[in-house]
Amino acid sequence: MDVKYINPFINAVVTTFETMIGLSIDRLDPFIKTHATAQGDISGIIGYASKDIIGSVALTFPEGTALEIYRLMMGEVVNDINEEVKDTVGELANIVAGTAKNEFSNLEISYHISIPTVVVGKNHTISHKGSVPVVVIPFQMTNFKFFMEISMKLNSVTSVSQRMRAKMQTA
Amino acid sequence: MRILVVDDSATMRRIIIKALNTTGFNDITEAEDGEDALTKLEGIDLLLTDWNMPVMDGLSMVKEIRRNASFANLPIMMITSQAAKKEVIEALKNGVNDYIVKPFTPATLVEKVQALSAK
Ligand SMILES: [Mg+2]
Repeated sequence: MDVKYINPFINAVVTTFETMIGLSIDRLDPFIKTHATAQGDISGIIGYASKDIIGSVALTFPEGTALEIYRLMMGEVVNDINEEVKDTVGELANIVAGTAKNEFSNLEISYHISIPTVVVGKNHTISHKGSVPVVVIPFQMTNFKFFMEISMKLNSVTSVSQRMRAKMQTA
Repeated sequence: MRILVVDDSATMRRIIIKALNTTGFNDITEAEDGEDALTKLEGIDLLLTDWNMPVMDGLSMVKEIRRNASFANLPIMMITSQAAKKEVIEALKNGVNDYIVKPFTPATLVEKVQALSAK
């Protein structure tokens, strides 16, 4: 997977969390995941698709991270993953997928996003769109960690680059 | 000033309402999707809406509202992460008056709402 297609999602996570939570977020080294089990206890998953690209992105949080994010965003302490925490995680995934879309438009790629789904439980699985390897990007937020998983399949790289070339010629 | 806040995320509605409350906007109605919102328009002075929602999304709802002459002048603000040029143009063309990009800070939200409600 070309890093230029991963960066919009990474930048979207950083912008989303720094704006909504007010803390700086550090990206750690990415790795490839070969199994469906999530790193975290709660995941927000959202699909994106167009004629150019298809895939899904998930934000997956250990319970402690999810509760801390909820506390920071809503100003309220909760002791376990309830409906509000699930809603927050789904909305964060939604904002990340939408924000990434804005940067993808610079690459002449557009897509529609689905409604987020949220999965909870120890060792739950995340089903991504397509049978491509899943890239995992860990993030560090103070003492808390969370992960973004990205699966992506470009449908027609040539048509995308052809359109970009055509656009440059007419510009 | 009665404000209708439309978003499928309950926590997002809470964040928006909290920001409005701190600025003295206290008369607020909530809806969780476009279809729900269409039944709650009577007496509304300002509408803040999400785009990506189940049942009926924000853009379809705005198109529906603008088809009704009695809501032709209702100020509508879209609050969404989808803010590529193409989306913004499409929203404005279909009757959205202003745009707030998610993620936002409460200060940005309040500033935009005050500007739109003063018009
Ligand atoms: Mg939404």
